[in-house]
Amino acid sequence: MRPIVSVRSLSKRYYVGRPRNNSPTLRDAVIEAINSPFANLRNHRNGVVPLWALKDVSFDVAPGEVVGIIGRNGAGKSTLLKILARIVKPTAGEVDIYGRVGSLLGVGTGFHPDLTGRENIFLNGTILGMKAPEIKRKFDEIVAFAEVGQFLDTAVKHYSSGMYLRLAFAIAAHLEPEVLLLDEVLAVGDKPFQEKCLEKMKSVSRDGRTVFFVSHNLKHIEELCRRVFFINGGVLYEECDANATITKYLKDISPQEERVASAP
Amino acid sequence: MAKVDRVATNLPDLASRSSAQGNNLSAAILPAQPLIKIRVRKSWSSIELREIWDHRELLYYLVWRDIKVRYKQTILGASWIILQPLLMTLVFAVFLGEIAQVPSQGVPYVLFLFSGLLPWTFFLNAVSGSSYSLVINAPLITRVYFPRSLVPLAATLVRLSDFIVASAVLVILMVYYHQFFNWTIVIAPFLIVQLTLLAVGLGMWFSALNAKYRDISTALPVLLQLWMFTSPVVYPASLVPERWKLVYELNPLVGIIDGFRSSLLGLEFNWRSLFISVVVSLVLIVHSTYAFKRLDEEFADVV
Repeated sequence: MRPIVSVRSLSKRYYVGRPRNNSPTLRDAVIEAINSPFANLRNHRNGVVPLWALKDVSFDVAPGEVVGIIGRNGAGKSTLLKILARIVKPTAGEVDIYGRVGSLLGVGTGFHPDLTGRENIFLNGTILGMKAPEIKRKFDEIVAFAEVGQFLDTAVKHYSSGMYLRLAFAIAAHLEPEVLLLDEVLAVGDKPFQEKCLEKMKSVSRDGRTVFFVSHNLKHIEELCRRVFFINGGVLYEECDANATITKYLKDISPQEERVASAP
Repeated sequence: MAKVDRVATNLPDLASRSSAQGNNLSAAILPAQPLIKIRVRKSWSSIELREIWDHRELLYYLVWRDIKVRYKQTILGASWIILQPLLMTLVFAVFLGEIAQVPSQGVPYVLFLFSGLLPWTFFLNAVSGSSYSLVINAPLITRVYFPRSLVPLAATLVRLSDFIVASAVLVILMVYYHQFFNWTIVIAPFLIVQLTLLAVGLGMWFSALNAKYRDISTALPVLLQLWMFTSPVVYPASLVPERWKLVYELNPLVGIIDGFRSSLLGLEFNWRSLFISVVVSLVLIVHSTYAFKRLDEEFADVV
């Protein structure tokens, strides 16, 4: 089967600042500034070290596959999603995507606190890539899913945080791109709403949508994903099946947890 | 140095197929060419007009959002669009027109002033508004993809709508002062297009710089203040000594504001300054869009 997403030798380099400690006091800072006033301009790249958030990552994903991505904080999971979403540009490598991409890398992206729920549905829907007729068609469904019916004409800054998140997720859940990128979105709302989101996600994957799903919740990953990628220090690992990859991840994080646990 | 381009194909709407089909999205449905190609290379075009056109609905909503939100929690609301240039006119008319007796090419000073303040206020608000736009919209830029130029473009269009509304005041003033409408008024729209493009260009450049170096937001108000006084907004260009004229006219706003005023009030045109202004504007616009493009590569990393 031809892949819908094909990633070849993808790498991303960031420059990370090193704490500069040349001028510990204000007086030293002033003296330094007088001695070399353009140091900040000149040594633009000094004091920074390269960090490879992704190193030579390659994979193919077939249409309809739901891929879970796991790894420690800062391993490069979000960087991968951001490159696929075209938010961040890669340092090297190529990606081909044979479909439209919808990304949900944060809940409530583009929500404006002063606009009403109704207005934000249109604004946020458009930002996430929906067309106006599509939003109109799904409007009632979104409102029902979010359970915010009577507050539709209230500015969202007056919403409770739960209502806010429900509305945000409801809009995103009604996106219909061929490829969906999700980052930790299930971590919103109370338990019943989380269950509802999980159900929605399952139905999305049953529709034949291709989904990339970053989460630290292994239970959700196991439930939703047929394939699992484990990213560690920018390198992508995939074992023969999803369970084996999760086991590898658990093995990888456990010694560190023991160290942390045994620390005084 | 990466370039992301979008391959225009007739995308089959996979998503709209009924879910009853289940997992039968076979490879046969996939388009032959990738819809999205992410590559590491530089492109020569500075601004992707096609991409902006594809995202015109988002542009509309960005403008709509800013207009809608701007006057929330204000008492006077949208009347600020008219009040802002009117109050400035009042201040300058008292201090420069009455007290300093600045000459005004034979037309009433208030009329002279307003016809300069109108395009200037638009330019000022558009450039300073767009220079903050990328930073303000950082949550968007770091979470969804769309052509980044939409952000400063929307900020400028919001101000263009203000300009159009405030133009009504100019018409009222012209009627009040019995100013005849001249045929030369047909030149004014072209100057406004030029001014808008210049504002978009500079807005893009400053917004990109501001995303990287926040010094810009501190320096810009000073620069703009200086720019106002080196443009014929509150005084006629004829006050500038002849030997400085050519240098003075390198400021593209000289040709635009002077030309705008002349076209409305039937004053004599300075064709040389108009010509210089068009050339300088073009250079600035091309430079700015390239600078934006270059910085665009790293927005999400630095903003």
